[in-house]
Amino acid sequence: MINSLWENILKPREKDTSSILKENILFQDLSSKELKFVTNIVHLRKYRESEVIFHHGEAGVGMYIIAEGSVNITIEDSHAESDADHNEIIITKLGEGDFFGEISLIEEDGRRSATATALEKTTLIGFFKPDLFEILERNPRAGIKISLRLCEVLSRRLKETTEKASLLEKQIKQLQKETDK
Amino acid sequence: MSNVVSLKKERFIRGAAVTGIILICALIILKIENMLVSFVLAFAISNLLSPFANYLERAGLPRSLCVSSMFFFIAVLLGAGTFIMLPGIAGQLASLKHELPRYIEGTTKILAMLENNLNSFVGSFYQVDISKTVEQALFSFSKQIFSNLPRIFSSSLTVMILAPFFAFFLLLNGRHIVKQLLEMVPNNLFELALNLQHQISVQIGGFIRARLLEAGIVGLVVWIGLIIISFPYALLLAVFAALTNLLPYLGPVIGAVPAVLIALVNGMGVFEIACLVSVYAAAQLVDNIFVIPLVVARIVNLHAVTALIVIIIGAQAGGILGMIISIPVASIIKLTSIAVYQQFIDFRI
Repeated sequence: MINSLWENILKPREKDTSSILKENILFQDLSSKELKFVTNIVHLRKYRESEVIFHHGEAGVGMYIIAEGSVNITIEDSHAESDADHNEIIITKLGEGDFFGEISLIEEDGRRSATATALEKTTLIGFFKPDLFEILERNPRAGIKISLRLCEVLSRRLKETTEKASLLEKQIKQLQKETDK
Repeated sequence: MSNVVSLKKERFIRGAAVTGIILICALIILKIENMLVSFVLAFAISNLLSPFANYLERAGLPRSLCVSSMFFFIAVLLGAGTFIMLPGIAGQLASLKHELPRYIEGTTKILAMLENNLNSFVGSFYQVDISKTVEQALFSFSKQIFSNLPRIFSSSLTVMILAPFFAFFLLLNGRHIVKQLLEMVPNNLFELALNLQHQISVQIGGFIRARLLEAGIVGLVVWIGLIIISFPYALLLAVFAALTNLLPYLGPVIGAVPAVLIALVNGMGVFEIACLVSVYAAAQLVDNIFVIPLVVARIVNLHAVTALIVIIIGAQAGGILGMIISIPVASIIKLTSIAVYQQFIDFRI
């Protein structure tokens, strides 16, 4: 009890960040030593309620993992006819343990494809391109493990998008057939 | 609404705090004696050694052990080097002090001869009179350099202690210090600041390593060449050539001037002077054919006119040392400005 109290007083941040990272797919293969190394590199950021994390179209250099709180991912309604009609379409609501913005980790001169806003008081773990470069340079074994998992995540996203696109294509063809009739 | 206002306030306070810390550090570095030189040297040393520290760290050693063992190894190497080279350098310096009046007299004679030749050509339009002024300037410079030697030495000693000390902590905790500073940056500027810092440190690191490598290779080629042709003051002239090589355009020429003057004053023959010029030309060939193409992408060349203006400003601000560091500092400012401009466009600020 006393030991855990002292641990909490002395290293609360590191412990929390490490355990959150360990649960994340990108960092799950890391050994405890590698995880400690990565924990010292990532950035802990605190956001207020309704504070924008990043805007759609902005240059992006990395991803965020939600340590505490929730985040709304939105895009602007391109069909709005005037500024008065300006509206935001909610794509998804993310909670603790979820992550977003991972494409920016590997994209060259990448732009954010949506806007992310904190829905409540939120703590995020930021993991950015310079951090990945630093890990690859100083601890390549850990860097490769993270990079391989990142590839897996991105290929899964690509597969899901392809499936959605082919489903939409089928639906469009079906609609065209029905209209032709 | 109050939340929005306080968020703005928080961003302002965080931004002001970061800017304040950077400005205070800059002020300390600029205002405290020997701090600028020590810091510039420390920055150069840490950038030079950083790849080796990373290499050792990749082998699984803790960072503190990597940096400590590296500094220990360098200290032993420098100690041994000084032990071996010091008698030679001291001998060359003592000989130079003894011979300097003769070289100044010889240089003045060469200048007077040049002056006569020039006056016979353009004498009807303009009378050239530089030999006396140059002689006076050279005599006062030579007197000052040896009378100021204890002060220069004590100042150098401070730098020689402070620079490795700073370099050690920059290598060990540099990233941590930057991270701490980045933590204070407001959220809306965080990604911009992080990326900007990364871009600048990568470019400046490459630039410093490339420049030092270039200077080192030029110095080494000149040293070996001068030893082969049995030229006096080989080590001093090689160090001078390496240092002046840091100055673009004029640097290589300035680096060769003392050797050519020594050769002329000593009345060396055409063959010996040709050998001497070949040594300096070989150093420049090695630099231009092998070194620059390999590292050129990392070197930001300033326009000739800009370089000249920067060197003049450097000389006015910090004498010979100011001249040497003026180009790297100007290049760093140029790099930073380009990176900041690019980042501000990318982040739509």
